[in-house]
Amino acid sequence: MLFSFRWLLLEYAVRSLFRRFGKNFFIFFILSFLIFILSSVLMIAESIKAELNATLKTLPDMTLQRFVAGKQTLIPVSRVDALLEIQGVGSVTPRIWGYYYFKPAGVNFSVVGLDAYEEPYSATMARLIKDVDWTQRSPSPTMIVGEGVKTILRENYYNDFFNFITPEGQTKKVGIAGVFHSDLALEANDLIVLPKQTAYEIFGMNASDATDIVLKVSANVSEIPTIVAKIIEKFPDLRVVTRDDIRVSYQNIFDYKSGFFLALFCVCAFAFFIIVYDKSNALSSEEKKEIGILKALGWDTDTVLQEKFFESFILSLGAFLFGLATALFYVYALQAPLLRAIFTGYSTLKPPFALPYTLSGSMIVLLFLLSVPVYIAATLIPAWRTSIVDADEVLR
Amino acid sequence: MTLTPEIIALLTLDVIFLGLGTLALILSLRIAYRWDYAAVTPLQYRLTKQSTLVAVIIKYIFVLKLPLFLFFIYTCDKLSAVITGAMCASGVVNSIGFGLDLTLFKLFNLYGFGFWLLLHAEDASHVRLAYTRLKLILFALLCVPLFTEIILEIGFFTRLDVSKIVSCCGTLFSAASSSASLSLLFNVDARVWVGIFYLVYTVSLIALWLKSTAGVIVSNTLFLIFALISLIVFFSTYVYELPTHRCPFCLLQKEYYYVGYGLYVMLFTGTFCAVGGGLLASITHTIPYRYWRLSGFFNTAYVVSISAYPLAYYLKNGVWL
Amino acid sequence: MIVVSNVSKMFTQAEECVQALSHVSLHVAQGECVLLKGASGSGKSTLLSLIAGLAQPTSGSIVVDGEEISKMPERLSAKMRRERIGFIFQKFHLIPYLSVQENVTTPLVPENIPLHVIEAKAKRAMERCRIAHKAHMYVHRLSGGEQQRTAIARALVRNPMIVLADEPTANLDRKLSLSLIEELRALKHEGVTLVVATHDPLFFDLDFVDQTIELHHGVLRP
Ligand SMILES: Nc1ncnc2c1ncn2[C@@H]1O[C@H](COP(=O)(O)OP(=O)(O)OP(=O)(O)O)[C@@H](O)[C@H]1O
Ligand SMILES: [Mg+2]
Repeated sequence: MLFSFRWLLLEYAVRSLFRRFGKNFFIFFILSFLIFILSSVLMIAESIKAELNATLKTLPDMTLQRFVAGKQTLIPVSRVDALLEIQGVGSVTPRIWGYYYFKPAGVNFSVVGLDAYEEPYSATMARLIKDVDWTQRSPSPTMIVGEGVKTILRENYYNDFFNFITPEGQTKKVGIAGVFHSDLALEANDLIVLPKQTAYEIFGMNASDATDIVLKVSANVSEIPTIVAKIIEKFPDLRVVTRDDIRVSYQNIFDYKSGFFLALFCVCAFAFFIIVYDKSNALSSEEKKEIGILKALGWDTDTVLQEKFFESFILSLGAFLFGLATALFYVYALQAPLLRAIFTGYSTLKPPFALPYTLSGSMIVLLFLLSVPVYIAATLIPAWRTSIVDADEVLR
Repeated sequence: MTLTPEIIALLTLDVIFLGLGTLALILSLRIAYRWDYAAVTPLQYRLTKQSTLVAVIIKYIFVLKLPLFLFFIYTCDKLSAVITGAMCASGVVNSIGFGLDLTLFKLFNLYGFGFWLLLHAEDASHVRLAYTRLKLILFALLCVPLFTEIILEIGFFTRLDVSKIVSCCGTLFSAASSSASLSLLFNVDARVWVGIFYLVYTVSLIALWLKSTAGVIVSNTLFLIFALISLIVFFSTYVYELPTHRCPFCLLQKEYYYVGYGLYVMLFTGTFCAVGGGLLASITHTIPYRYWRLSGFFNTAYVVSISAYPLAYYLKNGVWL
Repeated sequence: MIVVSNVSKMFTQAEECVQALSHVSLHVAQGECVLLKGASGSGKSTLLSLIAGLAQPTSGSIVVDGEEISKMPERLSAKMRRERIGFIFQKFHLIPYLSVQENVTTPLVPENIPLHVIEAKAKRAMERCRIAHKAHMYVHRLSGGEQQRTAIARALVRNPMIVLADEPTANLDRKLSLSLIEELRALKHEGVTLVVATHDPLFFDLDFVDQTIELHHGVLRP
């Protein structure tokens, strides 16, 4: 038979691995560690990507921004009606939002103005404010804040109100009416939602302007490019960001980040494989003798090679599974302390969101390809060198 | 340049293949040049040992190339979600001018190295290692497409631009295709291609029955070509149940229950056994019954399963697409 | 059974040539016992490894059981060694950290034989060499005599037609050496062809030795 499987040889290889426990354990340990790091990084990236995608699903179909002299500026609200005339446009909502820099804590809050009677422009927003009693009319304006904001405010002794400072230097007192409780903490954590009127005052903006305009498409998704073209024709100073654009750019950021890590990792791995190569290349005299005996007993080069291959395969597969299992535990059970900071570190407020479980078959294949075949390649030539030992040299 | 983890994995392995392949090439050229089985010189002794290294390297490359081919298609499929306009792997593959060539090189190499392994097995069990020189020269020749493929692949992934807008399979595999040879396929009536496909299949069966080595090789090569053509222009539309959707790649997607993998495995195994077995037979002057039986089985399985699609469609809807 | 014709073996090492064997011819019939004598360095081990196909002669040919082992590719000579030749080494050469049984079964590993067949074969070989009671003990814990019996069991596990022994008594005391000789005698009675290389005087003038050959600096002296 061309491919009959030699179980006994496999068993022999396992024994052989255990016989040289010290050396093999060292390799196993380092290899598992490398695989663990690699898997963790990729899993975190994948997980964050999934989280972002979930967020993206709730974004409006299009966001319109106005650019003057290459800088984003405010859009006149009067354009809404013109936009509604374009065929395929479902709803058009001018938004007022921005960042408020809170100096004592050195953080930025995202401030969104929203009116109670207005339909929230995204599903997330609707979910966030669903449980809050929004209609209550108190004499002074109130706001709803994310958990992160709440914590920071409390640290600065603002327990049930906060004084915004407007561009004119006046203070604007806003009461805290509630806190978001959302699983989508990634974007809700540093969020403040308050009435539009208050937002205009805080940002010092004119009520006839909006930060940007979001747009829902009533037609088929495939019509989006046509609608975009029509909008630009009508208002050449508008830039249209579709949901797809955001998705691509997010995906690029994360692929780039994990790719960068992978490249770094490759360097470490390369160093490791040089060590492995070196270690297994230096045949101990004991091992040499063993091969000589086996050959005299009727093993041929191919059999010895296969045995060595089994050894590398079992070792690297074991390390792969072990590394993968520890990474799964580390990322999803422990929520990847330390490492996740690398990916989410760019936001000033580190939002305490949970990494969703996203292990796919392709991820396992990918990790496998990056560990087992590479390890076997490093041991290929040393294994050959072992297998060609002459029996008669050893037995004299 | 886009460095997704998948691409880094593929590139890493490519670099390994390039390194090991070069080593094997140098060794095999030297061995082929100096090989003399009858000699008992230390040199010949060394060469014998080195030839085992060449074999090990080639086995390593082949064993990985097989799943990597699927992984490559899969990666392109995944990238098609990022690249605007691409609906499946074919859009990504064709976003670079030589993408299709790369895929064809990959396929050719699988056949080539598969055959090399057959020859190697034959050589290893021969009492005088009669085919060692031949197999090493063959490897040296196969290195040309192998290295071309690796270099193309590196070029492919370094040049891949996710922000470029590409066309989807719907326009690539149609009479409007930018590639002249592809558009030619669609200007001819699909029934002609299907007719040739069944004709060549019949001829290949007759060649098997007559045990004509040359006949088997030629008819199976043609069978492979026309199977692919008829799959693109005719059969695939029945898989998708859309008269305008012609694509050899979408078959591999989940929407169609990954049926493409099964179909391609049957087609490639069947033709490989026939052609590989036939070439082996012309070298060793024996008749490779085992391979040919396998070939007949797989080719027939392919023809039956691919024909089932239009038939089932006709029975269900009472009309042809 | 074994036909050695005009065999020479030269070792080249760093410009220096050692003629380990020169023009050696030898004929061993089936079931014969041949004693190979000679001083240290005379080429006994070299001749045995040539017969076993572990090395190739520089010139001449060696035919074992009708097949020219000296010209065979390694894969086939290994198969031959596995199936027809048992080897007892100069220093037992057991594989440490493996049990007796595992050592005995190593020649069977390359073949894909069902486990129960292997165990039966190993059991038979171990019983005949009176080592079965230690089957699961590690060989490096065994006494010299037990190690020697394990080595013999390993050589016999495939029921070889030919047993080559290279100074089998070199590391044994007189009592163990005598028991080994009895073992060889039993093999001879079973019709196994024996080639024993030794300079141990205990082997001289044994009744079951059919042929005694002396090597002297690589040259055969009848
Ligand atoms: N691989 C080798 N390279 C160089 N010289 C070798 C090699 N093998 C054997 N020789 C030489 O060949 C000669 C014969 O060696 P061999 O081992 O056959 O002797 P021997 O008769 O078995 O001796 P002993 O009784 O000590 O075992 C020695 O001079 C040895 O140095
Ligand atoms: Mg000796």
